[in-house]
Amino acid sequence: MTTAADNSTRPQRDWTAMLTVPAVAYLAVIYLMPLVWLLTKSVSGPDGFSIEPFMHFFSDPYSWRVMTNTVTIAVGVTLVCLIVGYPVAFALAWSRGIVQAALLVAIILPLSIGVVVKAFAWQIVLRRDGIVSQILVGLGIWSEPQRLLFTETGLILGAANVFLPFMILPIYSVLKLIDPHLREAGATLGASPLYTFRHIVLPLTLPGAVSGIAFVFSMSVSMFVIPSLLIGDRFQTLSTLTGRSFLLMRDERLGSTTAVVLLAIAVAIVLASTWISRRLGGRS
Amino acid sequence: MTGVERLGTWLVWTMAALCAVFLLTPLVVTSVVSFGSSAVFTLPPPGWSMRWYERLLVARGLMESLATSLQIAMLSTAISLVLGTLCAIGLVRGQFPGRDAISTFLVSPLMLPGLVIGIAMLQGFKVMGLRAAWPSLLVAHVVITMPYVLRTVQSALSLFDFTMLDAARTLGCSYLRAVWRVLVPALAPAYLTSGMFAFLASMDNYPVSIFFTDAWTKTLPIQMLQFVEERPDPTIAAISTGLILLAVLALIIGDRLVGLRRLADF
Amino acid sequence: MTASANFLRVNAARKSFGQVLVLGGVDLAMPRGELVSLLGPSGCGKTTLLRIIAGLLAADGGTVRLDDRDITTVPPHKRDVGVVFQSYALFPHLTVAENVAFGLAARGRPKSETAKTVARFLDLIHLSDFAGRSVRMLSGGQQQRVAVARALAVQPKLLLLDEPFSALDRKLRETMQIELKRLLRELAITAVFVTHDQDEALVMSDRIAVMNQGCIEQIAHPLTIYRRPATPFVLGFVGLSSRIDGRIAAQSGGEVAIDTAYGRIAARANFAPGTRAIVAVRPERLRIGGDGLANSIAVRFQDLAFQGSKALLHFDAGPSEQILVETADLAADSLKAGAEVTLSWAVEDTLVYPGPGEGAPS
Repeated sequence: MTTAADNSTRPQRDWTAMLTVPAVAYLAVIYLMPLVWLLTKSVSGPDGFSIEPFMHFFSDPYSWRVMTNTVTIAVGVTLVCLIVGYPVAFALAWSRGIVQAALLVAIILPLSIGVVVKAFAWQIVLRRDGIVSQILVGLGIWSEPQRLLFTETGLILGAANVFLPFMILPIYSVLKLIDPHLREAGATLGASPLYTFRHIVLPLTLPGAVSGIAFVFSMSVSMFVIPSLLIGDRFQTLSTLTGRSFLLMRDERLGSTTAVVLLAIAVAIVLASTWISRRLGGRS
Repeated sequence: MTGVERLGTWLVWTMAALCAVFLLTPLVVTSVVSFGSSAVFTLPPPGWSMRWYERLLVARGLMESLATSLQIAMLSTAISLVLGTLCAIGLVRGQFPGRDAISTFLVSPLMLPGLVIGIAMLQGFKVMGLRAAWPSLLVAHVVITMPYVLRTVQSALSLFDFTMLDAARTLGCSYLRAVWRVLVPALAPAYLTSGMFAFLASMDNYPVSIFFTDAWTKTLPIQMLQFVEERPDPTIAAISTGLILLAVLALIIGDRLVGLRRLADF
Repeated sequence: MTASANFLRVNAARKSFGQVLVLGGVDLAMPRGELVSLLGPSGCGKTTLLRIIAGLLAADGGTVRLDDRDITTVPPHKRDVGVVFQSYALFPHLTVAENVAFGLAARGRPKSETAKTVARFLDLIHLSDFAGRSVRMLSGGQQQRVAVARALAVQPKLLLLDEPFSALDRKLRETMQIELKRLLRELAITAVFVTHDQDEALVMSDRIAVMNQGCIEQIAHPLTIYRRPATPFVLGFVGLSSRIDGRIAAQSGGEVAIDTAYGRIAARANFAPGTRAIVAVRPERLRIGGDGLANSIAVRFQDLAFQGSKALLHFDAGPSEQILVETADLAADSLKAGAEVTLSWAVEDTLVYPGPGEGAPS
């Protein structure tokens, strides 16, 4: 990162570095230390270092069901957001004036509303007598009204609804930056519009897509309120299981274990997406 | 336009329209239900009534939780703005190793499961001797709001031409005055967007807050979820509609001040 | 006109943006292998004309023909017209070689053939060692060369360049101009390029089309443009000149006598007596002293601008006039401000234009 700081004198340089201290110190004490503490506690049993709770967790078929649930839902939500979000990002980039304003409102306004409000609204929508059911019966896709509440499909729909903006906006912000002359250059070189799209536009949007996928996937893995309201107790994800362990069952052992597993998955996603972004960003 | 281009364009605009409807559905549904007369959530409602809004004022714990949420959100956002700006200046202007690592570290709470962070902090605070609910909430929410502030302010600062400060100083301002009169106004849009998103993130937060509540201290989302579980009736829809209206207001103000497109650079 | 002189033929090209007329019925005809520059100030319509020829912009009226084919409504990717953009528009996610190969790959050429062509063009632009590098790492001059190679690799019928050197510094620009001209000659490419820099146009072009406010005011060989500018605009835009006001006193046999504040001036022209006129001479055509040349005026010396190998002398003149002399004569150094000097020049070096509001010559 080149900055205009290259001509700063020594004392000023040290001083500006000091400015980062309050924020870093705060987060280190309040956020990092407790996380490290959690990690160390999860591997310390009555006799010192012990991964027994993890062994117990991973040998339990129920645990695998929970983890499968978590990943399945996350993949489903991410796919839906990707398929819907990609074209909409283009629409946002191509639109002007009032159409663009309308799209922006439709995307940003839901972001400003709480997740409880949205999940609750989807509870209403997904009922047997709810709107989705009425529409699908009206279109003839369903022979009779069905309940989508407390189903995986309903959960994926509701979660996708909440996380879509986090897929659209990163792709849009990358799209905005693409030089409009690039498409013209492709055309004047003899490439058909489809070729130009496939070989120039699409590759350049990849960093945005990677970012969007990372956001949506990790948020889907971690989500707590939405599954609590939309799918109920019979279908547990890592997150809801962790929550239940602490809040309902008072089983701190299990809760800590599942929390660490959840954390590991989230960290893995962050690392993977960073690595992929770096691969995409600097090709030499 | 070739046939492929036409198909692509049609696809994009159709998806956009469907998506806009999809995204706005919960908001519309909630608002409609809140004005319905029935205690059951049928759509379309059999009649219209304002009784759920009347219930709002007497709903037990609602106003208190709203007040708590507002206080926590405003204070934690303010603290994050101060700490975050200082830190962003240090990151953009400083020349020490590990700047990227620090930046990633400070933004990481966004990417990690809130629930896990909440659990960790709950146990950590106990060890540190912090047991009271309200201060715990505030301390925890600074962690939640910090990433929003840091991301936006840092990227705004990296686009800022620091030689403007030098120019101000050659025109007679001290360094601090130059910062106040040149840097801060230039950063105002970044403050606005990041402040708005930080505030909303704090107001909306559940997974961290749930661990720091007690009988007297609840944030709004926690109170609302409790209502949904205990007594699901359209009063919740009324609360939600109120929040939607506030969000619309915030969006209008935000657009007036910085424009909708800027808000999209979250 | 024979078909070869009309390899590129633009007829009555017209374009408005809203209420603003940017291009008002422009004609352009070029033979194969010629290099024409569109020269003019910003807003004159040169880039608009270029984009219409490329197919990136649809004209409101008029036609474009290339190699006997009407391409007015043909989309850009089917026109076989290459473009080098002002910002180069290199594909940032591809290497140098991949950029140059893009057009060939898009047209489905076999890989082996593409690789050979790419190697050849990289060699022509002296960037063979950079084949595998990302274009993000290149300097401005290197990027410019890659942009040119990329456009040329598909051997387009016509190459269009939009201010290709504007982002480069002076020294580099001069080097690149010569290199590009050599390359285009070697490959026998027909090219049109847009510039606002008159020196660049004079160096590079077979012909220059000077544009102003949506029209081509003159299209001719650079020497003709310089020696015989057709309008006061071309006179003013290309090169320097002295300009004084006058009125036609007499006219006979292809020569006119013009009354000015400095005396009578003779010129080769055909204007009716009484017409107001602008009299102009190129600064290097004026001699200091009464040399026996037909025209001479007495003026007062004002100032001298030293330019290295020559000097530009300014003399007192009327409100809308200016008198400039360019000389390599070192004696000019000793002139004092206010000194009376006689300037003279040949009849055929006098340029005459109708004054403001007057019509064309009879």
